[in-house]
Amino acid sequence: MKIMLRTDKIKFSYAAEEILKGIDLEIEAGSFIGIIGPNASGKSTLLKNISSSLKSDSGTVYLDSKLLNDYSSIELARKMAVVPQNTEVNFNFNVYDIIMMGRHPYQKRWSGVNKKDKKIVKEVMEVTDTLKLRSKSINELSGGERQRVIIARALAQKPDVLLLDEPTSSLDINYQGEIYDLLNYLNQELNLTIITVSHDLNLTAQYCEELILLKEGRIFAAGPAEEVLTEENIRQVYKAEVLIKTNPLSDRPFITLVPEVNKFNRKTEKKDFKIHIIAGGGTAKKFIYKLENLGYQLSIGVLNIGDADWQAAKELGIEIVEAPPFIDISKAEIKQNKKLIEKADLIILSDLPFGHGNLANLEILLDYPDKAKILFSNLKIKKRDYIKGKAEKIWNKLLEEDENILLLDDKSRLTSEIKKLEN
Amino acid sequence: MMGEDKNNILIFIGALLFSAFLIFLALFIGSSQINPADILSYIFNSSSVSASAAIIIGEIRLPRIILAFIVGAGLAVAGAVFQAIIRNPMVDPYIIGISAGAGTGVMLALFLGVEIAIFNLNSLPAFAFLGAVITVFTVYQLARVGNKLPVLTFLLAGVAVSFILNSMMSFLMVLRTENLQQLVYWLMGSLAGSAWGDIKMILPYFLTAFAVILFYLKDLNILLLGEESARHLGLNVERTKIILLGAASLLTASVVSVSGSIGFIGLVVPHIARMIIGPDHRRLIPLAALFGASFLLLADTAARTIMAPMELPVGIITAFAGGPYFIYLLRNKSKNIW
Repeated sequence: MKIMLRTDKIKFSYAAEEILKGIDLEIEAGSFIGIIGPNASGKSTLLKNISSSLKSDSGTVYLDSKLLNDYSSIELARKMAVVPQNTEVNFNFNVYDIIMMGRHPYQKRWSGVNKKDKKIVKEVMEVTDTLKLRSKSINELSGGERQRVIIARALAQKPDVLLLDEPTSSLDINYQGEIYDLLNYLNQELNLTIITVSHDLNLTAQYCEELILLKEGRIFAAGPAEEVLTEENIRQVYKAEVLIKTNPLSDRPFITLVPEVNKFNRKTEKKDFKIHIIAGGGTAKKFIYKLENLGYQLSIGVLNIGDADWQAAKELGIEIVEAPPFIDISKAEIKQNKKLIEKADLIILSDLPFGHGNLANLEILLDYPDKAKILFSNLKIKKRDYIKGKAEKIWNKLLEEDENILLLDDKSRLTSEIKKLEN
Repeated sequence: MMGEDKNNILIFIGALLFSAFLIFLALFIGSSQINPADILSYIFNSSSVSASAAIIIGEIRLPRIILAFIVGAGLAVAGAVFQAIIRNPMVDPYIIGISAGAGTGVMLALFLGVEIAIFNLNSLPAFAFLGAVITVFTVYQLARVGNKLPVLTFLLAGVAVSFILNSMMSFLMVLRTENLQQLVYWLMGSLAGSAWGDIKMILPYFLTAFAVILFYLKDLNILLLGEESARHLGLNVERTKIILLGAASLLTASVVSVSGSIGFIGLVVPHIARMIIGPDHRRLIPLAALFGASFLLLADTAARTIMAPMELPVGIITAFAGGPYFIYLLRNKSKNIW
């Protein structure tokens, strides 16, 4: 493949601060590259060094095997078009005139608009779906329409490379997709080399073939989206905890931020009320966030590693008794669980299903007749019993013998019931 | 598109007819009564007119009309160019101190007595040009914050520099008291005493500057997109800006050296022209030139007739019209004023 753009150890400083600390890039013709990174990682600066808006302090940029500095401004405008971050135009040129300005690098000073200019402008207006806007003033357009017009103007330059700085940062979600769909089309059908800078990781991952992740002026990772966007990379570059799933529509990674509910809640005193939760299969994850936020001291167990409740408890940093999945809970784990229960003021048993593996989680309640308990009863025990009545038997025994049990039909009343017990 | 072109042609025809009408009108109006029949016959056949009428028409009214035309056009075009380069409709050569700079240049030349003609060119406009260019450069440097040129600081820097230059001019004026009234009038902006010599003096400078601007009309449009976008469209922004700033300064300087600081034409006229014909400089500049010429001719005709036989400096009239307009623009700056 032909290399369209190559940078060799480019460095750039604003005043005393070094923004780019040696960037080496090789971008093939016809690729669709997304440059990502946190604020101040240098991504916009890198784009400006590539577009020759800023001159690198050291290092070189080659565009189509020719030094960037050797291009005249007209030659460069014919080779590379740029859609800057701020595309606001505050005077009322009409759309057609704005797009025709893209022909500037081809027009002689005195010659008017020729047939070729007209043909090309019409083509790019068709591609960008701006024909119907042609006689509107640029000021009357919506953000998405204006962005399409600016892209049309860039295309009228007939470039080989299109650079875009945050092309969707000020757009609503419907326009964001529209702009990237257009870029995707231009890349696929016209074989345009496209480089975008964006802070929107998901959009970039959706559309760009390859990502370049910058951290503090250096390339931290580069390659296909699924290699660059890993939980570990995001943690190191953004200092954020994320979950990465695969978008079923595109097979590309999709990032969700993990809420760190306690991050700003440290000042609120933890309540002196300990609750032990027995759950599993995601039956507790909804209410443990809430209880954690209310300041209760929580523990949970025994949970299988990888279980949905286990994940939630991990994220919240709750004390967990954990067990490997698919085998029965072991003696050691039961012992550990007992320790936590002994410390607790209240035990909550969620509406979890019972099988061989976790029957011990139910049996354990028989050992603590004096502890306060809340048992979820919105689902009949019969329906949750997968071991032929064994669980039901224990359940009934509990209800007969234990006087400290509160059956809870309505889960939404959980916190108010806990408050009553607390006092 | 075709309909639009037709419209534009009609606008230009209208503007030309209006200018012609004003010239005609201005020939007839004046402090000394001349038989309109004499004027008509002067226009069509100058031999049959009395000597005194011929002198009043040919040596007083006609050069003054032509000069008003040139000065008005020059100020309006300079204003439009400055507005495009600074990308703000709030600037004109008067507000940002360029007129004062040119005026100071002229004053210095007069004071030092260095009114030398080189190659038949009167050097007064050259001194005005020097003053204007130094002022433009100073204001530009003062107003620049990093890479940006905030309009507010630009206006403030212009006002501050104007203050300094105006007091310099007043100082020079006090030192050179022999023809004080004439200088005061000149300072306030006046076309009184215009003669063919004035036109001859400024025409080479004026035409040079005007030609350069006509050469760069397309570039002015591209500049309006913002410097970054203009650069990406292949425009050599720094060079274009310097050339255009120089040309607009020369244009201002040439007219200031005969008329003094006539304010607000460069502000009001481009704005009105833009409202009528749009921001495209290939149409805007010619129309602004015609409008500016007409506007100053109208104002000057008023200046010499309102209180006849006394004459007002025309700068007073243009300021009366332009000041409120400037305030209106300030109040409306959030809306679309281009």
